[in-house]
Amino acid sequence: MGDEPVIVVGVKQVPDDDEVRIDPDTGHLDRASAPAVMNPPDRNALEAALGLRDDAGGTVVAVTMGPPTATDVLEEAVAIGCDDAALITDRAFAGSDTWPTSLTLAAAAESLGADVFVCGEETTDSSTGQVPPGIAAHLGWAQLTYAEELDPEFDDETLVARRDVEGGHEVVAAELPVVVAVAYGEFEPRPAGLHRKLYAESEFEPIELSAEDIGLDDDEVGIDASPTEVGGMETVEPVERERVVVEGVDELADELAETEVFG
Amino acid sequence: MSPDDADGANDEPVDDGTVDTDAYSDVWVFVEEHDGDVMTVSWELLAEARGLADDLGEDLVALVIGEDVDDVAGEAIERGADRALVADDPVFEPYRADPYGEQFRALVEERRPAIVLIGGTHTGRDFAGRVAVPAHAGLTADCTELGVDDDGLLEARRPAFGGNVLATIVCADHRPQMATVRPGVFAAAAPDPDRAGAVEQVDVVVDEADTVTEVRERVVGDTADITEADRIVAAGGGCNGDLSPVEALADALDADLAASRKAVDEGWVDGSRQVGQTGKTVRPDLYVAVGISGAVQHVEGMNDSDVVVAINDDPNAPIFDHADYGIVGDLFEVCPALAERVRDGEALAGSEADIEPEAQR
Ligand SMILES: Cc1cc2nc3c(=O)[nH]c(=O)nc-3n(C[C@H](O)[C@H](O)[C@H](O)COP(=O)(O)OP(=O)(O)OC[C@H]3O[C@@H](n4cnc5c(N)ncnc54)[C@H](O)[C@@H]3O)c2cc1C
Ligand SMILES: Cc1cc2nc3c(=O)[nH]c(=O)nc-3n(C[C@H](O)[C@H](O)[C@H](O)COP(=O)(O)OP(=O)(O)OC[C@H]3O[C@@H](n4cnc5c(N)ncnc54)[C@H](O)[C@@H]3O)c2cc1C
Repeated sequence: MGDEPVIVVGVKQVPDDDEVRIDPDTGHLDRASAPAVMNPPDRNALEAALGLRDDAGGTVVAVTMGPPTATDVLEEAVAIGCDDAALITDRAFAGSDTWPTSLTLAAAAESLGADVFVCGEETTDSSTGQVPPGIAAHLGWAQLTYAEELDPEFDDETLVARRDVEGGHEVVAAELPVVVAVAYGEFEPRPAGLHRKLYAESEFEPIELSAEDIGLDDDEVGIDASPTEVGGMETVEPVERERVVVEGVDELADELAETEVFG
Repeated sequence: MSPDDADGANDEPVDDGTVDTDAYSDVWVFVEEHDGDVMTVSWELLAEARGLADDLGEDLVALVIGEDVDDVAGEAIERGADRALVADDPVFEPYRADPYGEQFRALVEERRPAIVLIGGTHTGRDFAGRVAVPAHAGLTADCTELGVDDDGLLEARRPAFGGNVLATIVCADHRPQMATVRPGVFAAAAPDPDRAGAVEQVDVVVDEADTVTEVRERVVGDTADITEADRIVAAGGGCNGDLSPVEALADALDADLAASRKAVDEGWVDGSRQVGQTGKTVRPDLYVAVGISGAVQHVEGMNDSDVVVAINDDPNAPIFDHADYGIVGDLFEVCPALAERVRDGEALAGSEADIEPEAQR
């Protein structure tokens, strides 16, 4: 670690789930028309990163890998308090599954001199949660997933996390550098300050980095480097439900009595 | 690439784009254990993978990493594995991503499994995401169906776009083909004490001195298993910290308590009882959602229930679209009334003749 820790936080732009409408003709979700927003769990990641800076100093840099329109989420990150932000963008990234996505973000982290890379638990669009451990594996770094609390012991080159595990928790100390994935819902995000917001919207321009800029060849990324491929998509018929709204518990009890559960 | 090309210097394999896929065979299941306790999802995977291995005409291999895990390996054989590979060392207890990852990498390089299945628990996802990278394996998240095609390729199906689409993910040119599966999706098989199979101790390639993490504390209580429940009453954000109405209803219905993520995150209900995309998949005969809005991430985990009842004070709550019967009302009034009605009303005991129609009004 240098004198001041560099904390990178990964934010991804996703369709807004709350705005996803049901297509009245097909009964299916229409995601294409939904506005793009910051992946909600990444708000918790941002707060965790800013909290580390509050405790231990240093700088927080938001990164997103995506098309130029993803600059919106970087502006938002800067408004909330990030010192800087980087857009990792290149046509060569198209079609990336989680393997090259995590390679690309790993290379960006190295270019930015990151000591800690903070991520969200998973995204709301493809929800694999595979990117954070993937970044750690590409870099050979430690990883702390499902983190609920963070305690920087940076003088000892260590980050301590309380991790949510099945049936309880554990406290894990990791040597820096480290990748963190914070548990969704922990680290309540702070609001954007007005001054910061104006700056982000008017003056701020993100750093822009291509594959070449971060030392990657075109064939190391994107669809060529993706081991998985989508072999097909089937629409699933929505589960048929009775959708009977009853007036009160008596009517409900009568309805239930007719079902196989009680019949 | 072939795993033999892995360049250990920077943990980055040299990828020349060619994998001799024929050199890979067998189906592995990662048996997740903590202090000798095995996560049920591992047994669920062994039962499901038994069919895959039979279809392929290959071995089903249980991969057991931990300390003093011979009993676990023995049980894995009884639950369907042909063989078990055991990496037994204090460095593996408790679980840490870095030593587990390094051991797995070495084993894959040496043994070349065609398919590796991992339970989608927090530990399983932490592990899977890490180990897929050095192998340049394809890793499909949260599958709900697994099969093999005519060429022996794994077809891993996962819901996408809020469950409206089932995407089939394949991995034609890379090995192993890896997938995670959330708890409760498949059913476990009972152990068969007559099954026999070899348990092989493998070389441990990890040294404590090389690890970069240390577990300072681990506090784990009993974890409830809601995946087998016949009846479930689930509490949501609407409970506002007071679970008594939900518990009373669960009690009256002889049902297990479950929860939305909101109720878990608020600390009202233990995480082992969470239903949904990042929790358990359940399919009870009866699912009563109390003060739950019906977010896609929740519905995904309960949509296979036979009969769904929703209690919510917002007539526009999406949960009503996923319910057979809904009551629009305050859960603090509806739950006690329903609990009482269940206790008193013979109707729900099964005999229609005894219904007293207006008695409770
Ligand atoms: C229907 C469908 C199914 C898919 N299934 C799979 C699959 O099973 N396996 C697979 O390997 N790929 C799959 N993909 C591809 C995968 O969606 C992409 O690789 C995606 O860019 C990264 O995965 P994620 O969104 O799941 O990230 P996650 O691993 O869920 O993200 C976790 C965190 O990592 C950070 N992060 C992730 N992406 C970015 C980014 N672009 N910029 C900055 N930070 C980021 C964020 O902090 C985020 O909260 C699928 C794609 C589709 C459309
Ligand atoms: C990556 C990711 C993964 C997730 N995984 C899961 C998951 O596995 N499981 C899950 O459940 N969620 C999951 N979520 C969260 C999900 O999106 C919702 O936020 C969550 O399900 C909301 O829980 P809820 O409906 O109980 O609470 P709320 O959204 O707070 O809804 C409360 C409901 O109760 C009703 N209500 C309020 N007061 C009363 C009253 N007095 N009487 C009756 N009704 C009342 C309200 O009308 C409302 O509909 C995930 C989210 C993300 C981003």
